[in-house]
Amino acid sequence: MPRSLWTGSLSFGLVNVPVRLMSATRDLDLHFRQLHESDKVPVETQRWCSEEGKQVPWEAITRSYERDDGESVIVTDEDLEAIEPRKTKTIEIEQFVDLADVDPIYFDHPYWLVPAGDDEGATRAYRLLLGVMEQTDRAALGRFVMRAKEHLAIVRARDGALSLTTMRFHDEVRSAKGVPSATGKTAKPSRKELDGAVALIEALGADWKPEAYEDEYRKRLKKVVDRKRKGKTIEIDDSDAKPPEPVPDLMAALQAALEDAKKRKAPAR
Amino acid sequence: MALRSIWNGTVAFAGVFVTIKVHSATEDQAVHFHEVHVDDGARIEHKRFCSKEDKEVPYKEIVKGYEVSEGTYVLLEDDELKAAAGQGSRVIEVEQFVCAADIDPVMFVKTYFLGSQDDGKGAYRLLHDALEKTGRAAIGRWVFHNREYLVAVRPYEDALALHTMRFSDELVAADDLDIPTPSRNPSDRELKMAGQLVETLEATFDPTAFEDTYRERLLEYIEAKAKGKLDKLPRPTDAQDPGDLLAALEASISGKD
Repeated sequence: MPRSLWTGSLSFGLVNVPVRLMSATRDLDLHFRQLHESDKVPVETQRWCSEEGKQVPWEAITRSYERDDGESVIVTDEDLEAIEPRKTKTIEIEQFVDLADVDPIYFDHPYWLVPAGDDEGATRAYRLLLGVMEQTDRAALGRFVMRAKEHLAIVRARDGALSLTTMRFHDEVRSAKGVPSATGKTAKPSRKELDGAVALIEALGADWKPEAYEDEYRKRLKKVVDRKRKGKTIEIDDSDAKPPEPVPDLMAALQAALEDAKKRKAPAR
Repeated sequence: MALRSIWNGTVAFAGVFVTIKVHSATEDQAVHFHEVHVDDGARIEHKRFCSKEDKEVPYKEIVKGYEVSEGTYVLLEDDELKAAAGQGSRVIEVEQFVCAADIDPVMFVKTYFLGSQDDGKGAYRLLHDALEKTGRAAIGRWVFHNREYLVAVRPYEDALALHTMRFSDELVAADDLDIPTPSRNPSDRELKMAGQLVETLEATFDPTAFEDTYRERLLEYIEAKAKGKLDKLPRPTDAQDPGDLLAALEASISGKD
């Protein structure tokens, strides 16, 4: 079971569910270290005072905020503690909403919530909240403080457990209004074109199976590391693939694609 | 206002090419600080030092290494790392169209907007409208900044949005969690009351109803500190105590009426 990152309680009306938070993701990326080329040892970062030109120990570093007028304000750990709300160990549910109304653009990082402790009180309260969310098909919105930052979070039932995802605040999501999206009359597809595209999309339709997609990049990167380790050379393909030209006749392209898709689908049955 | 684009290329599906530009759809609004020296308030600089020779290392003498056993590294050139990224392709080739509602949002990492280009407006609109009509999302791969991503393209308002995605092996499954079961499941009465409580808290999702109050409070605090008026700030509030489950449910519901 993954490590817990936060322990507290999920509060829902006057009901408190003691919970632990753990990441719902695992890092499978290959990580590289910066090395000094001549002696192949890791490079380390040292912190230096820009005024005195000497190294500064960790304890002698604090943070400063630069205001719009250029003036700097020192913000110490004590300052941050002073504004941390005291209900810091609670995820307070404020609303229950329909998950379908929450656009995924707001979703940030996924976590799991599990009961903190295996006593009857904690596990029953957990089951109650899970049960009621499964039954009503609602997701809960609430806030909590983790690593000195307040997060907005959405909690829902997923695969028989409570899933929590931190969310972006509305002012962190840009408006799509300024995005050029060909809304002019001339770009509007004809009925025939739209029907053709819909038929093509359905012909290329498949069930969503996340496990069907593998991280080819990670695999290739591992291969590169392996080859290099064995002293083999790495072939480098610099050739940029030629970008395709936009088609002059959309309808003709759709028809050709549709026939092609039908042909490919037919023998499989 | 012109929106800055970070990539341009083509979304291709079965011979139909949609020329697009990629724009960021999100922006970090967190309060950022500079590291400073306590003694004189001067900025801290980060310097790279060789851990053996204790001398500063210029950037051009730095290489990337992958640790294969403790202290042993395989050195890799930037070009060799690039070789893994995939062809320097300017095309997002659609592999499949799947039902958009079937993709659990835990798969999504970062969102971008796709903007239309002048020479592909008709195809852009066609893809948008057809995706909207079918309720499907286009799944493909995107090479960006020397890395290949699995992506989903779907309609978002009048535009197209692109999400980079996690791979399924990067997700911790619910089965990997060890969730203890209580000796007695919640009773029907408790479930019913909890359901009533959910109803009293039911709302339509409105993102603007939630402000980042922590960020606001932090900026307010900094402002007060700059003006030497910290003593005028209000104190934060207290948490409530946990209690007996049924009693708490009853109290919550009656309190809301």
